[in-house]
Amino acid sequence: MKQRANIRQPRREELTSVNEDGSRYAIHPADVDGRFTQARRISAILLIAIYAALPWIQINGYPAVYLDTDAMRFHFFGITFVSQDLWLAFFLISGLGFGLFYVTALFGRIWCGWACPQTVFLEHVYRRIERWIEGEAVARRRLDNADWNVSKIWKRLLKHGLFLLISISVAHLFMAYFLSLPQLWNIMRESPLENWGTFVFVSVFSGILYFNFAWFREQLCIVICPYGRLQSVLIDDHSTVIGYDEKRGEPRGKPTQDGVGDCIDCHRCVQVCPTGIDIRQGLQMECIGCAACIDACDTIMDKLDRPRGLVRYDSQEGLAGRATRLIRPRIILYSFLLVVGASVLIFSLQGLTHASLTAWRVEGSPYYLDQDHIRNQFIVRVTNKLNHSADYGIALDGLPVDAVATGVDGAFTLPENGEAVKTLVIRVPRNRFEGNFVMKANVVDSEGGLLAYRELEFIGPQPETSNQ
Amino acid sequence: MNDTTSQEDPLRPHTYDGIQEYDKSLPNWWLFTFYSTIVFSIGYWIYFHKTDTGPTQAEEYAMALAAIEEEILAKQTEEGVVIIDNAALWAMSRDPEIVEAGKAIYALNCLACHGPELQGAIGANLIDSEWVHGSTPMDARRIVIEGVLEKGMPPWLPILGEEKVNQVTAFVMSYHTEP
Repeated sequence: MKQRANIRQPRREELTSVNEDGSRYAIHPADVDGRFTQARRISAILLIAIYAALPWIQINGYPAVYLDTDAMRFHFFGITFVSQDLWLAFFLISGLGFGLFYVTALFGRIWCGWACPQTVFLEHVYRRIERWIEGEAVARRRLDNADWNVSKIWKRLLKHGLFLLISISVAHLFMAYFLSLPQLWNIMRESPLENWGTFVFVSVFSGILYFNFAWFREQLCIVICPYGRLQSVLIDDHSTVIGYDEKRGEPRGKPTQDGVGDCIDCHRCVQVCPTGIDIRQGLQMECIGCAACIDACDTIMDKLDRPRGLVRYDSQEGLAGRATRLIRPRIILYSFLLVVGASVLIFSLQGLTHASLTAWRVEGSPYYLDQDHIRNQFIVRVTNKLNHSADYGIALDGLPVDAVATGVDGAFTLPENGEAVKTLVIRVPRNRFEGNFVMKANVVDSEGGLLAYRELEFIGPQPETSNQ
Repeated sequence: MNDTTSQEDPLRPHTYDGIQEYDKSLPNWWLFTFYSTIVFSIGYWIYFHKTDTGPTQAEEYAMALAAIEEEILAKQTEEGVVIIDNAALWAMSRDPEIVEAGKAIYALNCLACHGPELQGAIGANLIDSEWVHGSTPMDARRIVIEGVLEKGMPPWLPILGEEKVNQVTAFVMSYHTEP
């Protein structure tokens, strides 16, 4: 293997980014251009634009995504969820889990290379700035090794200043998701002492972002990210990964040589790798699937008039020259689970109405015996989840004849996000009581449409004793 | 595949299911965090367990509660605290705003038993001159707060809170006159 001065040669047996003695080896990926790089740049710009825009877009009087943790109200694109709806988060979390399994089984680490905030911000914001100030990879490496002089101090100050500025902006934008922009703006203009907790959070978060993107970088993907590691067991030989076509490439040789493979050992794929691996040594856990090596190799192949795809998106099977199967047991299982989850979610969302109801028995005895009646007492709480006031009523279902219910007659108006706690008293004549029974308390809207219900059990003594 | 394993790559002696591992240096930043936790634990141990300087969780909880109470007290002092006694409740029962608030609470929570005209039904009559549990406003307030469980009147303080308890008491007393 040719020795290249100053550049650490990747080996599968060790982390390129960590030197023999444990110190950090700074990776400076070289510039690369090509179809995947451009597509990735567009997707990154789109993702950042979405991240930046969501708090500004108003739908139904609230930002498109607004997690109001103070009021425990969560606004998603015009739909408001309250803390009572939190059980739906099960679908969000399990859906994310299965979605991840599914995508990984099919396309490997496509999330890491294309959509993960770590990659999006690092490759398309922070490293672009670094490239702009410090120059190409060779120049950056030279600057790293250079003695401190005015030019280096100036460049580093500018770079880290910009990094800090962006980190602080990203952290503030993050807070806007929880505070909404007007509130955030108010807090920003107040003294930090007024909102000490928020101030500390934003400062620490900005600091973490800065540290991560200025220095820590690929270490997060390699050492910290659980998803990155988990993916090793989520893929199989039929999952699409980025790989080197060994059969076509080996043995490596000069472009002019005969009887050698297509790889000319130019090391472009190594130079552009943001995690510092040599893709030609096979699939490695550091690979974040960013496709930089594909573009690098394609450029060289184009120049040599050789077909593209010596390094390409393919499965391990495909790279070995065998057929890739799309449908495998795990894909069938994931699809099945995904369909089940999605169906239940759709079903649950349809049952989601703008009112919620809780009801419980009043403290004290489970039932009371009056002269002629058996009495049960409940407290019902109705919550209006709408962003405007609305009329509600409570209707009872399943009461025996002659039973009297008091406390919940008539319609009532609840203000925006307001709730009412009412006492519901049900009396059943002793001679009509035939044992415990279950009834329903329904919350209805002004037209009588059912919004939510709770089952309540009416409890009394054994019928024989109650008639005595 | 280009096998670059050199003879010098040291292997750890153990084998699990045929899997072996190299003996490589851990990243220094990782070791730094590891040693930091050790250093931190010494300070933690001395601070919390050896010198008892730091508060225990129970003490922290008590401190937080005390701070909240202090805050409430400060707020009340700022707004002009009303010491709730018979005179104050009588005064509140003549304040139309408080009575109106109390009326709304009554309609939601009390009407089911005490009737729309306070005439009583399941619960006691609240407008006649006969008092079962004491005739002063503070007696009435105590009943609202504690309830009369054997008769089915629940304690309302946990549901309504103190302010609403006072308001609803004032509403009931607005039907009566100070003797």
